[in-house]
Amino acid sequence: MLALRCIVGDLRGAGRLLRAFPLVSAPPRLPPMTQRRFLSRGGSPSASSARLKLRTRLVVTLLVGGGLAAAWRYVYAEKQQKLRQQRVEQLRKVALGQGAFSLLDHHGRPRTKADFLGSWVLLYFGFTHCPDICPEELDKLSAVVSALDGDASLAPVQPVFITVDPERDDVAALARYVADFHPRLLALTGTPEEVKAAGRDYRVYASAGPRDEDGDYIVDHTVLIYLVSPDGLFLDYYNRTKSQEQITESVRRHIRNYVTLSTP
Amino acid sequence: MTAPNSAERKACWDARDQLWKCLDDNGDKAASCHKFQSEFEANCPAQWVKYFTKRRDFLKYKEKMQTEGFTPAEGPQQPS
Repeated sequence: MLALRCIVGDLRGAGRLLRAFPLVSAPPRLPPMTQRRFLSRGGSPSASSARLKLRTRLVVTLLVGGGLAAAWRYVYAEKQQKLRQQRVEQLRKVALGQGAFSLLDHHGRPRTKADFLGSWVLLYFGFTHCPDICPEELDKLSAVVSALDGDASLAPVQPVFITVDPERDDVAALARYVADFHPRLLALTGTPEEVKAAGRDYRVYASAGPRDEDGDYIVDHTVLIYLVSPDGLFLDYYNRTKSQEQITESVRRHIRNYVTLSTP
Repeated sequence: MTAPNSAERKACWDARDQLWKCLDDNGDKAASCHKFQSEFEANCPAQWVKYFTKRRDFLKYKEKMQTEGFTPAEGPQQPS
């Protein structure tokens, strides 16, 4: 609103100046005598008034240009905000993560979805035998959480890792795995049925590949980091192409906007 | 078998990077990079060796598509 008043004020100011100096709108045709004197030093009153009108015209142009630029910036920001709100609405309709999962964390303590209500959660599905993708995504996730930790005005974000390989990833395996990443990273596992239910909740695709002679196999799975709000609502997701900075910025924006929306 | 920890992962990735650099320098001739190949297989679980080998094939294919273009295969002949 304030921006709009500034722009209108600018335009009114510019209009007032335009009316005071009608020559601004007319084509600048000075008689030859005045032009020659304009070029010489220490001009007569008519030459100095010509210089004054030039400066005035310059000031007015800058004011009008500045006003237009401010107006454009304001409208652009409004549009971006509207696009973001539309996206949140669409994700709300998709309504991922509505169910209640019941899993064990890497200390062996039972955890349900309700335990995470009240905090922001960044959730990633993966498995400990993952060659490169999961470690990279978890490194990225850890970096995002660390960056957000540095911002004192934001509530702490809880990173969560849920395995898609419950057969091999028991509590001990997860405890070993999370030691390499952010200290607050919580890893969850459970029986194959419970894990599949949690995965289905977030529409996570997971498919174990063929086993080799060691019994080793790779699990093909959706590679996404999910952002869940304090009321358990799935708000956003980030794929492999999103950088740490982009995710940090997006989460920060979600947290700030969320607080604003909830206050009456 | 337990999953590789951070140090083991890094050792595997370094061996893989060295092998791939050798293959890049030698025009993908596996014969010239025996030493790196065996080091790679020693440092990485068998599944990862298979995975990274397929990954390299895919990356090379992708590069080929991006530089040389794509010629669609001849599909079934349409009845005239």
